[in-house]
Amino acid sequence: MIDSVELISYLHKHGLNLATGVPCSYFKQLLIELEKSDKINYIPATREDEAVGISCGYYLGGQNSFVLMQNSGLATIGDVLTSLAQLYQIPLLLFVSYRGLEPDATFPEHLLMGDVTEDVLNAYNVPYEILYEEGWQDTIDRALEEMNANKTVVCILVEKGVMDE
Amino acid sequence: MKGDEVVRSLQDLLKGDELIVSSNGNVSRQVFAYLHQPQVYLRGSMGLPMAVGFGLALSQPNKQVIVITGDGNFLMGLSSMATIAFHKPQNLKILVLDNGSYATTGGQQTVSSNLAYEEMISGMGIKNVQSVDVMKDTETLNGKLIDLLAAKELSVLHTLVEEDIHKLENIPWHPPEIKDKFLEKFD
Repeated sequence: MIDSVELISYLHKHGLNLATGVPCSYFKQLLIELEKSDKINYIPATREDEAVGISCGYYLGGQNSFVLMQNSGLATIGDVLTSLAQLYQIPLLLFVSYRGLEPDATFPEHLLMGDVTEDVLNAYNVPYEILYEEGWQDTIDRALEEMNANKTVVCILVEKGVMDE
Repeated sequence: MKGDEVVRSLQDLLKGDELIVSSNGNVSRQVFAYLHQPQVYLRGSMGLPMAVGFGLALSQPNKQVIVITGDGNFLMGLSSMATIAFHKPQNLKILVLDNGSYATTGGQQTVSSNLAYEEMISGMGIKNVQSVDVMKDTETLNGKLIDLLAAKELSVLHTLVEEDIHKLENIPWHPPEIKDKFLEKFD
């Protein structure tokens, strides 16, 4: 499991000092640590597209943040991705829980989005990587490099049990 | 009085260092045409000018951030007002131009006329809220705008305006150009 405190420090070291989003139980510990953190300020949003809007506004003021959500939120953010973040070429890091896989077999509400999550990201032209405990820093490095070099949206998918809960 | 006249009334009141986020459609075209450039002109992302303005206000806490939005955008993004009210950024001001219609798409009715804006917004926890019907009362607008800009706390000014059928040209800058020009302010 990835230690939330280490992840926060790592992202902060890479220049991110704000996070916003809508919670997922997969990120329970991460959110506890974010709320305590003096490195990254966490803003709870009412909707995932609002969180992306906040993150884009933060970037337009010259600072960097990331957005946290369940993959269900990928359905909500279609317009803000295509008509704000991607249209204006605003770098944006999405940290998204990958619900609807085998551990969620008894959560039918997640299954259909689980089936199409990667198709949805491909359809939005959002590059993504799946995060694993082994080499997680390299995955984040690659995502941030691509995001900054190409002024693009990038997504990191997080399966159950990868983050400490 | 129409929405674009409210925007034009700001010309003589702004100092020139304010950061402005304007909602997609007519409002951003008016802000582009009548107020100091560059600003954040939204071309899409309906409902999100308050969220973008809030992010900008967090990022630039020493600058005054003004969100100028129509009622259609305001209502679509209403839950962002709850988020903003919770955090109360003192440098964020929201100006609503309420013509009761989706004017950019042909004047279809919004549900705005049914709402008591002052009660609704103050009920979210925002203390400084004013509403003015500038169709009936053009005298007090300037004073209300001055109060909005001078306030040292999160503030909202709701203005009831006539629908404006005069359409401005689209903003000629491409969106990445809008972003790049705006970011130059912070070099």
